[in-house]
Amino acid sequence: MRGTLAAMNDPAVIGQGEASRTAPPLIEVRDLHITFPAGGDEPKEVLKGIDLSVSSGEIVGLVGESGAGKTTLARSILGMPPAPGRISAGEVFFEGRQILELSEPELRRLRGRRLSVVVPNPRAELNPLLTIGHQISSMAKIHLHVGNQEARKMALQMLHDVQIPDPERRMKAYPHELSGGMAQRVVIAMALICSPAFIISDDATSGLDVTVQAQVLALLARLAADNGSAMLFITRDVGITAHFCNRIAVLYSGEIMELAARDDMFLKPAHPYTLMLLAAFSHSPRLREAWSVPETGERQEPREGCRYANRCPLAQPVCRAQAPSFNEIEPGHFARCHFPVRPA
Amino acid sequence: MSIAIYLAKRLVFVVPQLLGIVLVSFLLVKSIPGDPAVLMLGPTATPSAIASLRQQLGLDQPLHVQFMIYIGNLLHGDLGTSWQTTRPVLEDLIQRFPATLELVTYSLVLAILIGVTLGVYAARNPSGWVARVTDFYGIGAGALPDFWFALVLIFIFYTVLGWAPAPLGRIDMIVLPPNPVTGALTIDALLAGDIEAFRSACAHLVLPVLTLGLLYAGPILKMTQSTMEQMLEADFSRYEVLCGIPQNLVVRHALRNAFPSIVTIISVLYGFLIGGAVLVEIVFSWGGAGQYAVQGVLNSDIYPVLGFVLFSAVFSLVIYVLVDLVYVLLDPRATN
Repeated sequence: MRGTLAAMNDPAVIGQGEASRTAPPLIEVRDLHITFPAGGDEPKEVLKGIDLSVSSGEIVGLVGESGAGKTTLARSILGMPPAPGRISAGEVFFEGRQILELSEPELRRLRGRRLSVVVPNPRAELNPLLTIGHQISSMAKIHLHVGNQEARKMALQMLHDVQIPDPERRMKAYPHELSGGMAQRVVIAMALICSPAFIISDDATSGLDVTVQAQVLALLARLAADNGSAMLFITRDVGITAHFCNRIAVLYSGEIMELAARDDMFLKPAHPYTLMLLAAFSHSPRLREAWSVPETGERQEPREGCRYANRCPLAQPVCRAQAPSFNEIEPGHFARCHFPVRPA
Repeated sequence: MSIAIYLAKRLVFVVPQLLGIVLVSFLLVKSIPGDPAVLMLGPTATPSAIASLRQQLGLDQPLHVQFMIYIGNLLHGDLGTSWQTTRPVLEDLIQRFPATLELVTYSLVLAILIGVTLGVYAARNPSGWVARVTDFYGIGAGALPDFWFALVLIFIFYTVLGWAPAPLGRIDMIVLPPNPVTGALTIDALLAGDIEAFRSACAHLVLPVLTLGLLYAGPILKMTQSTMEQMLEADFSRYEVLCGIPQNLVVRHALRNAFPSIVTIISVLYGFLIGGAVLVEIVFSWGGAGQYAVQGVLNSDIYPVLGFVLFSAVFSLVIYVLVDLVYVLLDPRATN
């Protein structure tokens, strides 16, 4: 496991991710807008034009605080935005097909098979009345059309792969009999049993203890790598992305604020919001001091201009008047800011 | 094994429960004004005849002594005698209870078929026209009095169309009833191989079963619909959809999760209808246990009433124990 992680930290591997961007990406989100109806008011736009692509074998991190639209994006990629959200514009291409135009049966054959999701808080997500062996093997039966015996064997192997102790016995366990960490492994097993091309991990480890979290993440990354699956890794914890993401996107209020290769993101962050996120996880009190903004009470986003302007320590009058565009400040490094921070 | 222990525990509680039910109903029935001795002997009775009859019936004893006598008799399987039918209450009830049970059971089966099917369908398509119809149906079924609906059905299908037999009992008067085995005419007729009696019994069942089935499908439908809606929106259903599980299977899993609520409402209805179907029994001259008990109440004939209460209570308790067993079998979380 350590070997794989080390390999992923190797710049050469990250370089591969960079290089493969010349090939058509595995999944490509283009100008995706999701709106929620808001009573009599103007509908609220939760995603405001997301552009994001992931190439085969690449792991892209998506970082953002609660309410930034992370889960909405994950679910929209699977063709099922959270109710009552509606896709008001945009396209999602997966293996050359526009997902948002597929019929329900076509989507069903894709979900769990080519395109799978790892959900957080899995004890509530697993069916309480079915054994986990049943739930994992039914994925194989439904999507790969294998028989009962074969599906059971695959499920058992999967439980073994996700390092659940005594998998034979756990096959017969019900979700309420599992610990949170074990349930998380079960959900990973379900996501991987059909060897999907693309995995969305939606804040998957947020409910776990820190030590268990690290184990489960390492496991997820290793299994995805062994399998050659690409992954969109959604999290609130920017520190986690440092371990195994090739590229990182920072989401704020439904917009991607910064997108860069991992090392660029951590060594040369350009967007003030990214800096604030990094400072929040930093050990340096001076840095945290400099980049934390006292709560002003003025939480409302400006209607014009940059969404982040009201919380930004570097905001200028122009930030509140005119929305910044998503500029490529260096090759492969984008930031949505009028005054991107330059490395000193 | 754990189920056996659980059952034993439940059965231990049944005895005090039954005792409490009998005590309360005894006190309630006794508080109804009216003297059975006077009613039995009629208007021309002499005071001395009444007094001697009261003594004979034990009515001159204090209330708690009367209760103890009744309980003592119960333990010997004696539920008292009805002065109206002049027969032991136990015999009367053994004859009449199956009539009610047969009617209520078939009605409930119909109600379940309608309620669960429509409820699941409406929950699957919450904006479809079926969902709108079921909303209306749920309100309508709750608002219609059953005896009135029975009369409407009789008017249409007996008086106007002539399709249904006359609402006079459980079987045509010219048809010989089959030898009673279970007391349910349809089953007894089949056991006896008597097709004519079977057809006659079924024909007489149609309208009362339609009445009760259509009306009591309402609560089952509402419960199924709301629980299924909740289950289909639950995290595990959404996750199944995200995993590409076919919709039919998602619905089936949701239904299994909704089952405890549906079974609960069904069991409550079952217990309720044993006595609650009495107006429909009267309209169709069904001769069931409910009708028997109401006659008892109206004529200060207390033993039929107490016997009926006892029978219904035992029946309800049996149903509830069965329901608890169903929970245990359906839900792995319930074993503790």
